[in-house]
Amino acid sequence: MFRAIIVRLMQSIPVLLLVAVLSFILMHLLPGDPAVVIAGADATPAAVERIRRELGLDQPIWEQLLSWFLGLAQGKFGSSLVLNQTVLSAVAERLPVTLSLAALSLTITLPIGITLGILAAYFRSSWIDAGVMMIALIGVSVPSFWIAILSVILFSVTLGWVPSSGYAPLLTAGPGPWFASLIQPAMVLSLFQIGFLARMTRSAMLDVLDQDFIRTARAKGVSEWRTVGKHGFRNALVAVVTVSGIILSLLIGGSVVVEQVFALPGIGRLVVQGIMARDYPLIQGTMLLFGFAFVLINVAVDIIYTLVDPRVRYD
Amino acid sequence: MTDVMLAVTPPQMLAKRRRFRVLRKLAAHRSFKIGLVLVTILVLCAIIGPMLTGIDPTAMSIRSRFKPPSVRFPFGSDQYGRDILTRVLHGGRLSLSLGLSVALISGVFGALIGVTAGYFRAIDPYVMRLMDALMAFPAILLAIGIGAALGAQASSIVVALSVAYVPRTARIVRASVLVIREMEYLQAARVSGAGDLHIIVKHVLPNCLGPLIVQLTFIFAYAILAEAALSFLGIGPPPPTPSWGNIIAEGRDYSVEAWWVMLFPGLAVSLAALGMNLLGDGLRDVLDPRLKIET
Amino acid sequence: MTSVASIFRSIAMIGSVIAFLVVLANPLHAAEPRRGGSLVYAYLSGPGTLDPHVASSLVELEVIHHIFEPLVAIDGNYNARPVLASKIDTNADATVFTFTLRKGVKFHNGKEMNSADVLASFERYRKVSPNASVLADVEGFEAPDPLTFVIRLKKPNAVFVDVLKSPVYPFEILPAEQKDKAAREIDIIGTGPFMLGEWVKDSHLVIKRFDAYVPDDSAPGPDGLAGRRTAYLDQVRYNFVPEANARVAALQTGNADVIGDVPRDLAKRFEAQANIKTQQIFPYCMQVFVVNTQAALTNNPLIRQAIEAVVNVEDITGAMGQISRPGHSLVYASSPYYQGDAMKPYYDQRNPAKAKALLKQAGYNGEKIVLQTNSNYPNFRDAILVLSEQMKDAGMNVAVDIVDWTTNASNMQRGTGVWNVSTTGYCSNPLLGPQQWKVMIYTFPHVKDDQVLDTAYDKFYASLDPKQRIAAWADIEKRVLDQAYMIKIADMGTMRSFNAAKVANFEPYYIVHFWDVWLK
Repeated sequence: MFRAIIVRLMQSIPVLLLVAVLSFILMHLLPGDPAVVIAGADATPAAVERIRRELGLDQPIWEQLLSWFLGLAQGKFGSSLVLNQTVLSAVAERLPVTLSLAALSLTITLPIGITLGILAAYFRSSWIDAGVMMIALIGVSVPSFWIAILSVILFSVTLGWVPSSGYAPLLTAGPGPWFASLIQPAMVLSLFQIGFLARMTRSAMLDVLDQDFIRTARAKGVSEWRTVGKHGFRNALVAVVTVSGIILSLLIGGSVVVEQVFALPGIGRLVVQGIMARDYPLIQGTMLLFGFAFVLINVAVDIIYTLVDPRVRYD
Repeated sequence: MTDVMLAVTPPQMLAKRRRFRVLRKLAAHRSFKIGLVLVTILVLCAIIGPMLTGIDPTAMSIRSRFKPPSVRFPFGSDQYGRDILTRVLHGGRLSLSLGLSVALISGVFGALIGVTAGYFRAIDPYVMRLMDALMAFPAILLAIGIGAALGAQASSIVVALSVAYVPRTARIVRASVLVIREMEYLQAARVSGAGDLHIIVKHVLPNCLGPLIVQLTFIFAYAILAEAALSFLGIGPPPPTPSWGNIIAEGRDYSVEAWWVMLFPGLAVSLAALGMNLLGDGLRDVLDPRLKIET
Repeated sequence: MTSVASIFRSIAMIGSVIAFLVVLANPLHAAEPRRGGSLVYAYLSGPGTLDPHVASSLVELEVIHHIFEPLVAIDGNYNARPVLASKIDTNADATVFTFTLRKGVKFHNGKEMNSADVLASFERYRKVSPNASVLADVEGFEAPDPLTFVIRLKKPNAVFVDVLKSPVYPFEILPAEQKDKAAREIDIIGTGPFMLGEWVKDSHLVIKRFDAYVPDDSAPGPDGLAGRRTAYLDQVRYNFVPEANARVAALQTGNADVIGDVPRDLAKRFEAQANIKTQQIFPYCMQVFVVNTQAALTNNPLIRQAIEAVVNVEDITGAMGQISRPGHSLVYASSPYYQGDAMKPYYDQRNPAKAKALLKQAGYNGEKIVLQTNSNYPNFRDAILVLSEQMKDAGMNVAVDIVDWTTNASNMQRGTGVWNVSTTGYCSNPLLGPQQWKVMIYTFPHVKDDQVLDTAYDKFYASLDPKQRIAAWADIEKRVLDQAYMIKIADMGTMRSFNAAKVANFEPYYIVHFWDVWLK
């Protein structure tokens, strides 16, 4: 299995190279000039030209690509053009925010999503099933920023339960403020994931409940709780693992919008602002790190898959 | 992720009887029916609605700024005094056709790439590595980048979202192809001298269609939601032409004072996504009951 | 202008009398200032850099003017007033400027500021600042003794002190050892009343009171960015909150004490809360349409004038979510350069018939005119959308192109892209007058080979007599508006709201500041 993992990781090198080239091309296709952003709107054209030269933006595009790759080969991800920070430190500074948000959101999503899915499958075609599936459907059908804005008005302004914006770091501000600052965005983010997961779990469960060994177990008089609980949960787990890569990807995508609404200094805002400011090295570096993360998560998912579902072998 | 395990649709040819059975099942499927009704109503509104109101959705009347819903403005008016109902109806044209375009383009390219990769094993690794590379970018970030690169037009949003969804579609199609190509009847066809193209068109494609269609209905729903999210981030279809997303985005600062600006297009987006999801659920239950959907 | 300092002194006297009257009139000010406490200010974004020599955006300047100090800064009326200098002497032909520095001023690192620091700062400015071109005529800097700094120019510049007062790309004094630091890489050490505390990008920034601050005792109190400034608050926390809804909610829920950039329609939410006060800040920025003189169609003055003729200001400002006042001039009525009603004919003409005639004369035949703006600033989008409707009414074929701010700004700055008209706001330029306007007047509309404008500006810089400078500006302004390089929209204001039950002495000024603000 270790061999298989190594091979898998080696195979992902070309993917990462592709990610690197694609993100470079994409960034350099963007109209607009980082030198203008850096110089400020009141600068003279000569000053803008000087900044372009200083940043090497007047070089041919392939030379810029080459020098970026040479830097990468030495393990240098480069420095942001506007933040006065290296790409790695910029990402490291914001990662805890996005990870906190993702972790809290997963903590909400997993139990609720799985429970709803199991309930719906078990009470198939009843009003419970219909009700649960309706909730799940609404979850995956409502634009998250729309709900976010409505939620701020209700929970922050009208009821005053939670802060409307900002992030309180776990280590310096303590768990209470940290939780308060994240619970609302995490709930908003979870809405979609819960819907998604409940639907996945339900269909996975339906597969199982129809199968012979469940009927056998019931016939043998094994308690209903054990039958559904044990086999159901196991299969729900398989479903979760199958979609966990997707859920993580959705979390990152969703956090872009949620971080904007709630003013959370996370990765999503970093990337959006980086694209807006044409911060080439920052975006290229961050995209490459996303690529890394994506590859690692997928390998990890495959491994966990073999652990929870003995029918699948890792090769 | 491990290739999705698919329960294979029996290799029947598209016999008339089967088609009828599918239709009959769909007709009996509750969520399919609700979804169909919802989507039909919204599509009809988008097509016919603008003709009925006969108001220019970009016509401004600063004096009727932020009028609450009334007889004259059934959904109220926005900060330029434009009629929200008219804008939502026109916005539906843009948002729905945008969703449809994304679904069709990802369907065509996804099928093309998926079938090629699944059927011609020699090029499979290269194609799928490229797909993996594209999938490494979260869809929304990819769309932000491409959208900004191509300039703010509805067409660049379509390209951006299609690029984001093609790899996901291709993977699903490829997974079905992988299973189908090992079936006995396919081997038989090959032995009897059928060409690759013939086999793909006659045998492989029809059998991928079920999962593909189901996937596309969900992509349709995601595309509508993504358009709204991109508009919120300022890179959606540009005003003044209304889309559901940019109406919400323009109204978001006035969510309390002029709640109607954001509420109605928001409901429209939600209903459209809901309708497509219901439709997709129905299709999935009927076409391929044990399909595991990937997005 | 032999001794600017004497003028300053008289202004200061008048200022102190006014300040005294205000104190009498306003019971709020009668409350004793209290030291201590922490204030939270929510604004839409945070600074990219705190290096003053390269900083031009308001979000940066709002922090920088607390931390750093220049030789001269703008006072409450936007005139030059010494800060780190105690006296400024100008020779008769305006080529030698001698600054006498205040004694005993301390940097945040404890070091005493002297002329070597000033010299080093100016040399650094010349190397790194995008605004360095204003020092192009400098022959040399000298520091003959620790408290004297001299600037020699190659040719006369009657408004050189006014150049130095600019709050944008401010000429702030840094410790001499920062001299060779590249742009954006300095240590944030100044002489200002506050010093930098924690700074988390995209989240928040904290400034803390600098207890060893040496205020300018020559003034009775604060005066614009100058005067006797006092830090009462222990610290100010700037929270960066991009969504207007979230900022408003933060103030309503007590998560912020002061918020900036409140949209016009959102301020109504505070009506039920008596403790929340909203300030309307005028003057703030001027919004204009910028017309690209190098693009096809708008390279024809007739077409530019046709566009100018259709503008209906009330409809444009009515659609904008920010407060505004009509104003026909490129400077404010309080400015010495203000020309009365002379520029009025160009403004708010609402004359589609005239536009049609001009178009006919220009041989316009329904070619497409592109209006470009961005999605990041709603005001700009609103103005362009309304203008497009007005142009359509006059028979023009208009396409609206909405891009992101960076593309839009790059296009305006470098003349790239396909666009005829765009819009932007100018904040410091109209406040500070002709010398501050110059770069913008030439750059954004891409004005080339305009003898009238060039001559007028040469006259402006060479004239030692203020009256002649005012006359030169009249020529400049008339030329810009007559040729429709820029089309004036309105004087924009901004709204700030604060919790009046907690925050005292919060002064409305175009750049927000927290010195002399205390908590009740």
